[in-house]
Amino acid sequence: MKAILGTMGLVAVLATGAGAQQATRTQPVEGMRDNGTGFHALVGARVVTGPGQVMDDATIVIRDGLIQEVGGGDAPAGARVWDLEGLTVYPGFIDAHADLGMDDVPEGGDVGPTHWNPQVRAWFSTTRNLQDDAGRRAALRSQGFGAALAVPSQGIFRGTASLVTLGDEGVRDRVLRPDIAQAIGFQRSFELGGSYPNSAMGTISLMKQTFMDADWYERAWGAYEASGRAFLPPETSEALAALEDATDGDQPVIFETGSEEEYLRAHSLASEFGLDAWYRGNGLEYRLIDVLRGRTEPLIVPLDFPDAPDVGHPGAALDASLADLRHWYLAPTSPAQLSDAGVSFAITTDGLSSLNEFLPNLRVAVARGLEADDALAALTTTPASWLGIDRTHGTIAEGKVANLIVSEGDLFAEEATVRDVWVQGRVYGVTRPAQIDPRGSWEIASDDEWGFQAVLVLEGPLNRLRGYLDIASTGPDLPGGARIDLESATAVAETGRIDVRFNGEVLGYQGMALLSGSVRGDDFFGWTSLPNGADPSFRGIRSEPFEGPARGTVAMDVPEIDLPFIRPMMDYGRTSIPEQPAAVVVRNATVWTQGAQGIIEGADLLVRAGTVEAVGMDLDAPGGAVEIDASGKHVTPGMIDPHIHSGVSAVNESGFAIVPEVRMGDVVTHNNIWMYRQAAGGLTTAHIKHGSANPIGGENVFVKMRWGLLPEDLKLENAPRTVKFALGENPKRRQGRYPDTRMGVQEIIRDHFMAARDYEREWQQWEENQEGLPPRRDLRMEAILDILNQELLISSHGYRADEFLALVRLAEEFGFRVQTLQHGVEAYKIAPELAASGVAAVVWSDWGAFKMEAYDATVYNARILIEAGVVTSLHSDNSQIASRMNWEAGKLLRTGLTPEQALSTVTNQAAEAVAIHDQVGSLEAGKDGDFVIWSGNPLSQFSRAEQTWIDGRRYFSLEEDAAMRDRIEQERTQLIQAILSVENGGQNAQMERN
Amino acid sequence: MTTTERRARKGTWARAGGTACAALALWLLAPAATRAQVRMTVPPQAEPMALQGATIHTVTSGVIENGVILFENGVITAVGADLDIPEGTRVVDATGKHIYPGLIDAYSTVGIAEIGAVGVSNDINELGDFNPNVRADVAVNAESRHIGTTRSAGVLTTLTTPDGGLVSGMSSAMALEGWSWEEMSMQSAAALNVNWPNPNPRRFGGFGGFGFGQQEDPPSYEEQVQQLKSFFAEARAYRDAVAAGEEVRSDSRYLAMMPVFDEGLPVVVAADGAAQINDAVTWAQEENLRIVIRGGRDAIHVADRLVAEDIPVILTSTMAAPGRDYEGYDGAYSMPARLHAAGVRFAISGGSGSLYSNRLPFEAGVAVAFGLPEDEALRAVTINPAQFLGLDDRVGSLEPGKQATFLITTGTPLDMTSDIEQAYIQGRELDMNDIQKHFFEKYMEKVRQYMRRVIM
Repeated sequence: MKAILGTMGLVAVLATGAGAQQATRTQPVEGMRDNGTGFHALVGARVVTGPGQVMDDATIVIRDGLIQEVGGGDAPAGARVWDLEGLTVYPGFIDAHADLGMDDVPEGGDVGPTHWNPQVRAWFSTTRNLQDDAGRRAALRSQGFGAALAVPSQGIFRGTASLVTLGDEGVRDRVLRPDIAQAIGFQRSFELGGSYPNSAMGTISLMKQTFMDADWYERAWGAYEASGRAFLPPETSEALAALEDATDGDQPVIFETGSEEEYLRAHSLASEFGLDAWYRGNGLEYRLIDVLRGRTEPLIVPLDFPDAPDVGHPGAALDASLADLRHWYLAPTSPAQLSDAGVSFAITTDGLSSLNEFLPNLRVAVARGLEADDALAALTTTPASWLGIDRTHGTIAEGKVANLIVSEGDLFAEEATVRDVWVQGRVYGVTRPAQIDPRGSWEIASDDEWGFQAVLVLEGPLNRLRGYLDIASTGPDLPGGARIDLESATAVAETGRIDVRFNGEVLGYQGMALLSGSVRGDDFFGWTSLPNGADPSFRGIRSEPFEGPARGTVAMDVPEIDLPFIRPMMDYGRTSIPEQPAAVVVRNATVWTQGAQGIIEGADLLVRAGTVEAVGMDLDAPGGAVEIDASGKHVTPGMIDPHIHSGVSAVNESGFAIVPEVRMGDVVTHNNIWMYRQAAGGLTTAHIKHGSANPIGGENVFVKMRWGLLPEDLKLENAPRTVKFALGENPKRRQGRYPDTRMGVQEIIRDHFMAARDYEREWQQWEENQEGLPPRRDLRMEAILDILNQELLISSHGYRADEFLALVRLAEEFGFRVQTLQHGVEAYKIAPELAASGVAAVVWSDWGAFKMEAYDATVYNARILIEAGVVTSLHSDNSQIASRMNWEAGKLLRTGLTPEQALSTVTNQAAEAVAIHDQVGSLEAGKDGDFVIWSGNPLSQFSRAEQTWIDGRRYFSLEEDAAMRDRIEQERTQLIQAILSVENGGQNAQMERN
Repeated sequence: MTTTERRARKGTWARAGGTACAALALWLLAPAATRAQVRMTVPPQAEPMALQGATIHTVTSGVIENGVILFENGVITAVGADLDIPEGTRVVDATGKHIYPGLIDAYSTVGIAEIGAVGVSNDINELGDFNPNVRADVAVNAESRHIGTTRSAGVLTTLTTPDGGLVSGMSSAMALEGWSWEEMSMQSAAALNVNWPNPNPRRFGGFGGFGFGQQEDPPSYEEQVQQLKSFFAEARAYRDAVAAGEEVRSDSRYLAMMPVFDEGLPVVVAADGAAQINDAVTWAQEENLRIVIRGGRDAIHVADRLVAEDIPVILTSTMAAPGRDYEGYDGAYSMPARLHAAGVRFAISGGSGSLYSNRLPFEAGVAVAFGLPEDEALRAVTINPAQFLGLDDRVGSLEPGKQATFLITTGTPLDMTSDIEQAYIQGRELDMNDIQKHFFEKYMEKVRQYMRRVIM
């Protein structure tokens, strides 16, 4: 039952502020001047002057837009007096990341020499494009805001943000600080067009290249001018010119981050390029609280709390993941956690689907632990300080700008109503006060012969009236003593009218009965509309007033659930990283060393400080070593998969045919359940590959299955750099992009090899003579040079023998070697050639026939390659298969390979194929302590991994897995019950409303 | 057999690892293999035969050590330990070997799907929502490469099955030997296939986390269920009209439904989610159908009902990704063991991909690693699917009167540590060559030729 308090229209100026000053304005006044005094005294209110500071019954004097005085005195003579008794005044809020919607993409796109990439709009100025956004400003004001940083939202480099006032001044009077920060986001705008980048890693590469280009641009123009304009100038780019201050660290760069990972990526970019970075957060801060602790770079967080997952029926509850359930419960605690962790943060309206959610969600954040004073600071003093307006904004004090919120009730703890918002000394009405309080017991009686008499009771908070009718009279249709609950009850603020509605059934009618009445004091004059068409009128008097709070209070209503911090914040997330014992010794196992020692039965494995020390019989273990009895078990090196695609935020950058500058290492994600499952299946190291959309794809990344760590910590240390190439059907099937044939694939690769040599020569020439324009660093060309110099090893996707042979020969023509061919369904057809050229093969066991170029697959592929002397590995190219590579190796037994050879394709040969065999792949002294304990022969379909160790830490065991399942089940049950226990579900299920 | 003492493969090449020079030279000089064909089709059994000395895994009557199996005209005549072998019987010594019934893939597209991404090579999905009249066998390509590789894995019988729409058509039981589909077809209409609508179409999408763009919104779940009910109601009305002697116009689709109503033809209903399975069972009971659930990822959540109503399940994905993050990494692997413990009858099919019936043994074997008794895993790919689909009078176990369709192996066919050496289908001693072995022989010859160039 919602009441309509008088919510005002778009803009309602009740009193003008300071009149336009004569001497400092450029625009002539048309018609008559409007010069109100701009002299106001707000008296009688409780004034929260700033976080933690309250004055009761204070007087605020405003003159010419500024606060002249705050204190306990009387209103000065001549001031317009505003009686605010019973109300509370707060400093006006400041939104540090507002979307004022002023950067729509023009039809036909941007014009002029801006940037070759339409996603780079660093030149866009919110000041120059300031528009009449009256609706947006009024909506922000209604939530208490008086100033906001208008942040552009289109593209990757989005342009400059400007600080504006939210009053209704003309467009020239609204800018407080023009173009003070560059805005950057990880999501491209499709409206802007362009094909590159279309992936997370492409976006980051574009960011890096653009920062470098901005630096070059400044130097290139400098060189041109310094030469006395002795040669042709460099290109013109408004975007690169606009980035000069940001690149030099002189202007803040605001990164909009949509996830934990994007925050970490932005932070890393900012460090790499020395940027003064601010961050627009994402509501997932509670997942990264340990990282954020104590950070002082501005962090601006939204309040878009999630709806509760649907658990309304058993099937739906079955589908609710722990990650989603936890997110529902924990997201509203993010602001409180940030505050507790000493993080410098502000709160923004950005990200809400409706601005009207702002204050209710703010109250949820407070109910979930955020101190009201900290909330106020995050909306006033903190952003004021960052934005450089703390001299004028953020608190209520003498000399500051008169930005005020006038509230009925405590904004942070009650369902308070914003009455007025003052911006620069002008008042903007938000809600008109209700003329009546209709609550209480009304004795009402119909005027006609019907003889209806009843008591109408209206109660509850004013904004959510509820009530009932007690029938007093008895007659044919009048069941004396019956009670009818009202379906709805509303009070219309401006007219003093109430409208109620109830079901007519008790009175013998089919349908709803409407009752409406005007309240004057304790008198009531009413009329009805009954389902039978009759409309008797009523009179009533209030026999008893209602005693109770006018506003609903807000309190946490979700049960307290102890949810330990886990990483990742999802099913099977860890509470801590597994410890690394000083030494681990595994006793009496069949140890497959995959090294010179071969397979030893009844042997021991000793791992010390994360590194293999020895395999042998009856090894002496240092005191305090963790001893594991593995009698009857098998122990193998941790398995290696040279080709997976899980664990990254994106796979393909297909915007260009050649993209070796993009790096999978930039987009690793730790929120990847496959990592846990793969560790559970004995996989310890994987090579995460770029996709196959390009003849030359991106740089790959090696990770270890260190489930529970952050992305950077997952990466294999000291790993070689490798790059994805792709041949055959995939790179040529992208419509409208060269190449379309295997011939073209070969040629575009060759052409880029030659281009990189040209690039190298131009740099050399310039370094020798320093003549002309300085060359720019080109990340793509540098990557190709690394390929030619064999510092970036080729790991090429392909199927057919012909295409592989062509690439191997092309590399040889340029004087280097292809490291590995991957998929290699037809690798067996060129086994002798591969052996002679020293190219490793990474193949499937028995995958084939899923497309034309995979039709000649044979399970004997690995066997033939091994017979020919090729370093041969298996791979999965599939998240699930990567979690059971031992069985893929087992399939090779039926081709006649020995067990040791078969296992080598997922251990030592797999490591050698991708050049990491000096670190991992075998149980030999000095190698990483990565091993698996199996229930039996690891190549048997009937065996399973029981423990998986990485770096001498136990990342998986059956016992721990069972314990985690119990914990997950318990948490899921608690959280599902919590949702069901709260009425209505949804985010406001976080609040109790009385 | 220990892992370190693996037997060398008979008749193939010596291994490269640790090969002595003499052996290498010998290998290089060995004559090239000169097989004339990839896979020859052999004639029907011409004389009575006996396999002797093997461990015989009958499935239905226990394990017979040092047993004999007699078969004639493609049919088993006797199985036992001490059998008299009639005169005129060709006796094959199988001492030390194991004999298992040929494995049955209850959900396969072998023969009607050749190359995944080459649409024209596939005949799986007919147009339209209701195709009960289409039968898979007529589209089976007897020369498909996948037939040979599937047999090499020990799978000798497939339920080749159409897909698509709400009523996809008839599975055909195919024996994987013969010159044509006609010769291979054991039962043209073995089961009617129904795709139960999905109330939540994005569940269980894709494997490995790679989804493709969402397609146009299909009709709602409720609408699709209603369409299905209407179709069955109309088919029943047609049957009743015929029974009442009405002169109805012919309708291929309704005519194809007659055995479902009149002969208890199994209706295989694809359903994965708990709600789907529940709703499908309710529907089948209303319609009085002999239902088999196929897919069954959430079957464990419906286990009590499946047991109470005695409804069997064909699992399609024992090696699939867990459907939900909180499910164990072994959610699919351990499903058979959990269903077995709950008392649900089930079969395991080679559902990892349409072209991979050759992986069926491992789909069953994985369940053993995760708690299913080995003999139950064997039943799940032999007698159970035969029973569910009405083929148990012919295949699924080694008993007199059943077809002589079996394997000679070095151990259980469900584990890759053993080899499948020979197979018989209806008494025919198969040519065990296949395309993959053909490429092996051809390209090992290339390796030999190149190595000779280096040495000589």
